[in-house]
Amino acid sequence: MTIRAQTDALRGSLDLLVLKTLSLAPMHGWGISQRIQQTSKGVLEVNQGSLYPALQRLEKDGLITSEWGTTDNNREARYYRLTATGRKALGVELESWKRFAAGLEAVLRST
Amino acid sequence: MSWIDGARARLHLLFRRGAAESRFARELEFHIAMETDRLVREEQLTPDEARRRALVAFGGVTRHTETLREGRGLAWLGGMSLDFKLATRMLVKNPGLTLVAVVGIAVAVTIATVSFSVIYTLVEGKLPLSEGDRIVSIRNIDRRGGYDARATHLHDLATWREGLRAVGELGAYRLVERNLITTDGRSESVRIAEMSASGFRIARVPPLIGRYFNNEDERAGAAPVVIIGYDLWQTRLAARPDVVGQTLRLGDTPHTIVGVMPKGFAFPVNNRVWTPLRLNAADYDRGRAPGIEIFGRLADGATIDDARRQLLTIGQRLAITDPDLHAFIRSRVIPYTRAFIDNPEATWVYSLVQLLVTMLLVVIGTNVAVLVYARTASRMGEIAIRTALGATRGRVVAQLFAEALAMSGVAALIGLLGAQLALEQIGAAVERLRGEQFPFWLRFHITPIVVLYAVGLAVAAAVIVGVAPALKATRHKVRSQLQQLSAGGSRLRLGKTWTFLIVTQVALAVAVLPLAMAGVSAWKRIESAKSALANKQILTATLLFDRPEVSEARDVAARWVNLRAELVGRLQGESGVVDVAFASSAPSEEPNTRVEVFGAAASKVEGDTNTVSGSEGYAVGESRIDLHFFDALEIPILAGRGFDAGDLSNPSTGVIVNRSFVRRVLGGGNPLGRRIRDVSARRDPRSESAPVMPWEEIVGVVPDFPVDSSTPSPKIYRPLMPTDVSPAMIAVRVKGMPALTFTKRLRELTIVTSPMLRLDGIKTLEQALEDDSAPTRLAVLAMELITLSTVLLSAAGIYALMSFTITRRRREIGIRSALGAGSSRVLMSVFSRAFAQVVVGIAVGVTLAGVLDGLLQGGWTGRRGAFVLPAVAILMALVALIAAIGPANRALRISPLEALKSE
Repeated sequence: MTIRAQTDALRGSLDLLVLKTLSLAPMHGWGISQRIQQTSKGVLEVNQGSLYPALQRLEKDGLITSEWGTTDNNREARYYRLTATGRKALGVELESWKRFAAGLEAVLRST
Repeated sequence: MSWIDGARARLHLLFRRGAAESRFARELEFHIAMETDRLVREEQLTPDEARRRALVAFGGVTRHTETLREGRGLAWLGGMSLDFKLATRMLVKNPGLTLVAVVGIAVAVTIATVSFSVIYTLVEGKLPLSEGDRIVSIRNIDRRGGYDARATHLHDLATWREGLRAVGELGAYRLVERNLITTDGRSESVRIAEMSASGFRIARVPPLIGRYFNNEDERAGAAPVVIIGYDLWQTRLAARPDVVGQTLRLGDTPHTIVGVMPKGFAFPVNNRVWTPLRLNAADYDRGRAPGIEIFGRLADGATIDDARRQLLTIGQRLAITDPDLHAFIRSRVIPYTRAFIDNPEATWVYSLVQLLVTMLLVVIGTNVAVLVYARTASRMGEIAIRTALGATRGRVVAQLFAEALAMSGVAALIGLLGAQLALEQIGAAVERLRGEQFPFWLRFHITPIVVLYAVGLAVAAAVIVGVAPALKATRHKVRSQLQQLSAGGSRLRLGKTWTFLIVTQVALAVAVLPLAMAGVSAWKRIESAKSALANKQILTATLLFDRPEVSEARDVAARWVNLRAELVGRLQGESGVVDVAFASSAPSEEPNTRVEVFGAAASKVEGDTNTVSGSEGYAVGESRIDLHFFDALEIPILAGRGFDAGDLSNPSTGVIVNRSFVRRVLGGGNPLGRRIRDVSARRDPRSESAPVMPWEEIVGVVPDFPVDSSTPSPKIYRPLMPTDVSPAMIAVRVKGMPALTFTKRLRELTIVTSPMLRLDGIKTLEQALEDDSAPTRLAVLAMELITLSTVLLSAAGIYALMSFTITRRRREIGIRSALGAGSSRVLMSVFSRAFAQVVVGIAVGVTLAGVLDGLLQGGWTGRRGAFVLPAVAILMALVALIAAIGPANRALRISPLEALKSE
């Protein structure tokens, strides 16, 4: 794995988290940030502002789509949903992340 | 389908920019509200405090909005649209420069686009048939030139059919002209394709009704049959469904219709009537057969190169069996459509022409670029500040490029419109002049590829006009630019390049002006001649006699003379016909002959392009005319007499000449009684011992008629002998009606006299002159446009130079006036360089025009050099003066106080 691929993998982690979160159910931006925080038991705190550029990037790449909907307490919110392409990409990304993590761990362990 | 999703999202983001922004605002509002609720609920904060914390947690809203915008890929768009907004503003702010640049580039684009469209159509013309690009033309070419090698095709056809395996089937055709006469008695002259039965199979277009020709139809002596085109069926045969089996006459032979071809089919050239080709090689000597054209379709899997190789082998074989004939003959295979252009095997020549025409844009573009550079000098402050604020060199260049692109884009649009108009004119002219001779697949119009070419020109122009000056202007460091800015001047300099360009431009303008003036006067001459002819109600046409294929020559001549006399008799019996006269050729289409003058050495006539040294004599137009021809056309005899019956004694000894002949061949003086002699036979390489022609005496002088399109040319008229045969020009003068209305009756009378008599190109004399002068007028128009842009550009150049000088020397001017220098002194000192450049330019231009005039023996100025050359010099000086008025005024208005204050 090259240095360049590593930085790509690190930068891609937010995308990966978003995709994984959306694979469970369609969700709005705030919901995504909450869900990540809860699932990681507070370890991963998403910078709320930078979530939206990530969502836009994923939408531009055709991995997710979005539409307006209404929340339980009757607020209008933009709901994001995984596309078929996104689902496929998630699989690939997960694999590559696992490889990356394994590689990282192997290196860390040896030192 | 990720790319579709992605593309949709991208497009959405790109084009619904406002919507995207408001969407983010709504999402943000929702997010903050949710987070506030959470903080109030979980951490028991007050709503205000919770909202503040929520906003802090979100981070800088502006920064995220920016990131989003960039993520949409709109950053460049924002910049670009700003550039174009600025560009439009700059264009409107500098109307003078914009006008000059747009006119100049538009002229170049028009000319280049027209040329491109015509050349592309000719060279890349596609035959609109199924796999039309696989149809090839096969022909013999005489390498020596002079011999029509098509006469060998009939005999070689059998050899080619056998040996040319790369070509599946071979077809042949030739074109003949006949009167087409339908049962209702109407007649018209048509170009018939006599085509082999295989020709239709090669075209792969089935008949709409009936059948093709078959091999039986091609047999000599078989019943005459004909296939007609769709339009002919519709218009002349009332679209009758039972048309097959009907007859129509071609000349005096009735033909049975066996088929109708579908709409749009006009193969092989532009035909609507087809008869079987019935030529048998056995009837002719090898190399002396009637000329035919050969074509074929490449066999499946074969390429044109295969065909070329096989043809070469066959040619080598033929050269052995028939060395005399084939020693100089080479066989060629070319794509079918190329057979209709000159130099089919050297199409790079056309590309070269196009390249040269495109160079016009480069020349004009460079000139505009220099103007833009001069203007950029006055914007150095703006550029320096933008650079200091963080604009990269690329951004600045991009902005100047956008300005240039906006300008050249407008110009290209105007140029395309101009080209469309010009192509329509050219198309109409070709249609009128060439008609059925012009291949049916060649139509000139603006196609997508032409638009693409124009867009390319616009971008190229923008690169020349925008990028080059921008790069030059942004070369210096920002700091020094800013320093210069505060010093109140510009560091930019207009160096040697500029001097060279101004001088060249002025010189070119001065040099082409005489030709442009000559063009205008030629145009005026044509117009006045046309209006003079419009009053004469004269209808002209070529009268032809379609002699049968095999016939005795003496018999034909006698029949022709009788028929002609019969037609004249009928015409004279018509009410409204004033006079009928014949000539051997239409006015302004006289073939050239060569004469020498008794007792005058050819070289004595000064400055005559028609002079060929020594015994070759002068090239002059020759026409043989009826005795009363000049009376019939109301052409006055200026001196001497017209022809009378005495001139018909054989051989004729009297000739009439026109005024141009007197002026240019005889060099003025009294022409009557002088003698000339035809020496054209001396130049003919085929005649080994040239017969010596008798001397002829000039007995009369007539005016130049009709005024020739370019320059009046010398002509001689000889009497038309009653035994002279086809073709001939017939002129009918009518009264009491517009001449054209007599067309129908003229046709009827001709057909009644004999179906073998055929009229071609019926038009009034006025139309004839207009058609004849069409190319000249087009050339004059193009030249006037080029001249106009050259003059405009040099005026703009002078203007820019002066404005630039003032910007740079503002302080100096201020000090000079403060020290008490008068207006004229200030102007002289500031503008002396510009004056010098203009004067040098004019001098070079006049010299150049003079040299050209000398080389062309007066052709450049229309033999009025003594008047024209000073006139153009004065004209250019006036243009320069007008261009200088504005800047000069501005220079004088610079107040010493202000100029020094900015120090």
